[in-house]
Amino acid sequence: MMQALFYLMAFITLGSALVVAVAKNLVRSIFMFFVTLFGLAGLYVLALADFVAVTQIVIYVGGILVLILFAFMLSGKETLAIAQQQTNRFISLNNLPSVLLAGLFLVVIINVIFKADVNNLPWIKAAITSQVKVSDANINNIGINLMTRYLLPFEAISVLLMLALVGAAHISRKEEGSI
Amino acid sequence: MNFYVTYIIIALGLFAFVGVFTLFGVWSERKISAFIQNRLGPTETGKFGSLQTLADIVKLLQKELIIPAAADKILFMMAPAIIFVAVYLGFAALPWAPGLIPSNINLGLYYIFAIISIETLGILMAGWGSNNKYSILGAMRSAAQIISYEIPAGFALIAAVMITHTLNLQEVSLQQGTLSHEGVKFLGVWDVSKIGGLTAWNIFRAPHLIIAFVIYFIASLAESNRAPFDIPEAESELVAGFHTEFTGAQFALVFLAEYSMMFLVSMVGVILFLGAWNTPLPNIGTVKLADWTTGNVWGVIWILLKALGLVGVQMWIRWTLPRLRVDQLMNLCWKVLTPLAFICMLISGVWRLWLM
Repeated sequence: MMQALFYLMAFITLGSALVVAVAKNLVRSIFMFFVTLFGLAGLYVLALADFVAVTQIVIYVGGILVLILFAFMLSGKETLAIAQQQTNRFISLNNLPSVLLAGLFLVVIINVIFKADVNNLPWIKAAITSQVKVSDANINNIGINLMTRYLLPFEAISVLLMLALVGAAHISRKEEGSI
Repeated sequence: MNFYVTYIIIALGLFAFVGVFTLFGVWSERKISAFIQNRLGPTETGKFGSLQTLADIVKLLQKELIIPAAADKILFMMAPAIIFVAVYLGFAALPWAPGLIPSNINLGLYYIFAIISIETLGILMAGWGSNNKYSILGAMRSAAQIISYEIPAGFALIAAVMITHTLNLQEVSLQQGTLSHEGVKFLGVWDVSKIGGLTAWNIFRAPHLIIAFVIYFIASLAESNRAPFDIPEAESELVAGFHTEFTGAQFALVFLAEYSMMFLVSMVGVILFLGAWNTPLPNIGTVKLADWTTGNVWGVIWILLKALGLVGVQMWIRWTLPRLRVDQLMNLCWKVLTPLAFICMLISGVWRLWLM
């Protein structure tokens, strides 16, 4: 049962991600991205990371995806027309630098996967033996860890977000004198 | 395999409830609006017009599904379903009585909050898919409004969650009555865990939660696109907003989503602030009113009464207040509700540390 669900979710995620990349219609690919994110959330649930799954939906679906759509709908028709005027090929093979970059990136990724030796990592072995139960309240654990062990990264991220907010407010503000 | 059958039956039951609620919600809304505006409302079909919406829905289902020629067909067809399913999924985590909850998950509240946010996406999908100026303007307004009002609503809920210390809605409900495992204190001083009733509700356990509840209630009006926050479907300027182009069954689905959303946000408000399925009657000496009126059947009755009462207030407000302008709407959200919600959250922290 779990196996079947995993493959179903993985198929949905990968399939929709492929559609996102291939689709000619930009809006449709944004909405397809929603399916990808949902499939990913399902995979998280199967991995007993329910908090991560729900957070994924809140942040990516409720926040980022809606913002992308907003930016899309606020931008003018001309900009969108240029964005959609690509040659209708799956990969733009005639663009040599991009092909080179993509190929090199593929080499890097494959290298990382082989070097990492995922099956023998110590923390993965520990996770296999520790047996997390479905009913465990993971959020208490996450909260305590965020406020003790990972306090510095947590604070650093919040400062970074604060900077982004202040920057956005500054850019969008009208300068005095100029209209 | 047996519990899969149970799951399906529960899901169907919830869907039936949503349908019946919408039918009578629309009817009572028309009756209430008629009462407020000194009219009669529907009178012809059935006793006091009570079968009017049933007749309406039969008419809607028979209508032809018209897809505008310029519309993006896939998005247009899927949008109402996504809007409704997003709201309907939220019902999975709502407790109805001490032993009656469809899915007792420890992330309950957070899950509901996440699932509701998908509705925005459905509305944007409807607006874009219709390929119509009014629809897209309505969808953009709606999305802007829902995103902005999620912030005060979220912080008001966090203020309550800091008092309850759990996201599991069933445990939140348990804490607010005589069935509570930990002590309940009225206003932080008087131990009322044996008295229960009204005194054990969250808004009386920590009185600043009354403000948080009002903030949440106002924000929830905005999130379900109800007047005075109904600029997304402002009839005088946008025809009908994001659902201008929908006909027949699709229009019915959008309506179903709106009314289930009203009920859902009321239920969340009731569960977190107004004592969930707990009775309002306290134990007075030997007259154990609270103990007599606690149980599975009583629980369903109390929570339904409270939630329907809140829905009634939503309707009352809709037919009393005029629509807000966009700038007034944003001013209210960012300059009044958000700071107040932050203050509530601060008080909650102090309250939990020093008084509980």
